[in-house]
Amino acid sequence: MKRNKIIPIMLILAVMASVTAFSQAKITVKGSDTMVILAQRWAELYMKSNPQTTIQVTGGGSGVGITALINGTTDICNASRPMKQTEIEKLKGRYNTLGVEIPCAKDGVTIFLNDANKVDELTLKQISEIYTGKIRNWKELGGADAEIRLYGRENSSGTYTYLHDEVVKADYVSTVQSLPGTAAVVNAVKKDVNGIGYGGAAYAVGVKYAKVKKDANSTGYIPSAESIAKSEYPITRYLYMYLRNRPTGETKKYIDWILGAEGQRVVTEIGYFPVK
Amino acid sequence: MKYDFCNMKNQFKLNQIKMKKLLAIVVFIVISVYGYSQKQVIDSLKDVIEKHDGKLNALDDRVLVNEGDLLKLTKIKISGYIQAQWEHYGADLEKNNGYNNTFYLRRTRVKFTYEALDGVKFVLQPDFSTGNLALKDAYTVVNLPKLKNLTLWMGQMNRPNYDVEYSSSSRELLERAKVTTTIYPGEREIGAKLEYIGIKVPVMLQVMMMNGNFTGTQAKDVDSRKDVLARFVYSVKLPAEGVGIDFGANHYFGSNLAKTNQYVKNSNGTLDSLNNVWRYLDKHWTGGEIRIYADVLGGLSIKGEYVAGLNSVASTVASTATMAQKKASPNLYNNFAGYYLTLVKNIGAKNQAVVRYDYYDPNTKLSGDAAGSSLYYKTWAFAWQYYLNDFIRITAQYTMPKNETNASNPSDYKDNLFTIRVQAKF
Repeated sequence: MKRNKIIPIMLILAVMASVTAFSQAKITVKGSDTMVILAQRWAELYMKSNPQTTIQVTGGGSGVGITALINGTTDICNASRPMKQTEIEKLKGRYNTLGVEIPCAKDGVTIFLNDANKVDELTLKQISEIYTGKIRNWKELGGADAEIRLYGRENSSGTYTYLHDEVVKADYVSTVQSLPGTAAVVNAVKKDVNGIGYGGAAYAVGVKYAKVKKDANSTGYIPSAESIAKSEYPITRYLYMYLRNRPTGETKKYIDWILGAEGQRVVTEIGYFPVK
Repeated sequence: MKYDFCNMKNQFKLNQIKMKKLLAIVVFIVISVYGYSQKQVIDSLKDVIEKHDGKLNALDDRVLVNEGDLLKLTKIKISGYIQAQWEHYGADLEKNNGYNNTFYLRRTRVKFTYEALDGVKFVLQPDFSTGNLALKDAYTVVNLPKLKNLTLWMGQMNRPNYDVEYSSSSRELLERAKVTTTIYPGEREIGAKLEYIGIKVPVMLQVMMMNGNFTGTQAKDVDSRKDVLARFVYSVKLPAEGVGIDFGANHYFGSNLAKTNQYVKNSNGTLDSLNNVWRYLDKHWTGGEIRIYADVLGGLSIKGEYVAGLNSVASTVASTATMAQKKASPNLYNNFAGYYLTLVKNIGAKNQAVVRYDYYDPNTKLSGDAAGSSLYYKTWAFAWQYYLNDFIRITAQYTMPKNETNASNPSDYKDNLFTIRVQAKF
């Protein structure tokens, strides 16, 4: 009798396990280091309330994420810059689609200064001249007589590309030390009174924000919910998710959650700004 | 007793003073020795630190030099691909070749790109086919100052045409359409090109001035006139519908010099005599292109081009040839037309199904018997692609060309072709 009961129970358990296995969804997310903490938090919270879904998040930079999207090794690419036309052409050639661009948060690209630095404000032109090597000493900006030490990101970083395209608009000077992530940039500036760096607004702990002005006659702003919402902060950008095709199934559910109230609350908690 | 006690007391005090003095001397000696030995330790520690400081500075210098070298190396990109295939031929091709199947190394390319500065690029691409080494691309690209989206290209490069510029390593079908390979033989030309790619306005403009007679081997032009090809493409995105459309137009304006032969066979099939040799024969054509990309069930595209105009081919007969020989091998001057329409459908992330219909008529004014050997071709091509990974792609393709028939060519030439290709790309 007992044996007769065990076999059907085992069969039922086996069927349940296989059903669970088949209904277990896996989503891979790769890309922006600016967004990696945000993406990990999204994934953790979502998986808590949706245990049938596994979400794997890795960084590497926006460039790495976009390449993975084109190669087919990621479902969602996080990027802190828009896709370039050459990248869209590769996606068209390989998958015959334009890709799907989903802005999911806003960010103010922050200029980090050491707390002890006398300089508080910089214009966009000054930031460009610092990073192209035209301004080399803090005294030229009203600060101490000390050489400016430059910290930045690797060229696979979306933030590197965004700042280059929108602010610097020329080659970065060769003395910029490339660091693998915004946290590393913040750490370097924190330890170096003459350092300057840049990165996403959510990472600025232990350093100060430089107020950024459009030009010498404008008011300087730090990135805040207000200055971003009013488009006052001059280096505001969207953070994006890119997909090869329009999302369906569990991926669509996850993206809808990110764009909904709960996902956008996480954006604010991490230190970025809601997309709307 | 009193005296002895005082003496003892004094003696004791003296002894105390002596002891204190001795103790002071001993302490002084100990401190001196200790201080001296500490100084020795500190000095030797200083030496060690200075030695290591020196080593660290030297390491720092080496790291800087290595970083500088690494930065230069990261500016060089090397890519390439190998296309190895097996082909099986139709009966008439077999008769011609003497065999009906073969393994064949279609392309072996290595491309070197060096980005010296932002906006300055050098490209070199040789092709290593069996028994043949050829230069495919050798050009520089320079961003014009303060005009970020405008670039100047100089050297040997692809002519500005979609089917030409679409790399063989990415193209869904194994070969280009017949009209493309006929009017743009070898794909490349030697010349200079201006290219503008809009960012805010999704437009691309290309204008290339070239020698116009390049067949792959001659280093210099063969006449004094230069050919010009201008192309314009506009892109429309409809993100809500998941559709993108690229459409555009192009015009070719050029000529060929009749150097040795005063006879030219025109589109009507009649033999005209030029007033003298060293006359230029015009060649000019206009094309239109469209590509539609749709996010339909995993991705679908429809791509087409149409080109029509006048093409001329200079005779290669010797200037000392007889009149009869010259009449038999005249310069050619024909109205032509050609087009293709390709459908590509993604099936999942790793497979693609492709169909193309391709039409080329080398002489639109003549047909049937009057066309002689200027037959039109209608070609169907069917292909299936499998992407094993980002580096390896396997393609199986069946091509069915069907030629015009007439008295000189009473039946369709049996030249169907089945190919299996493995492409390795890095």
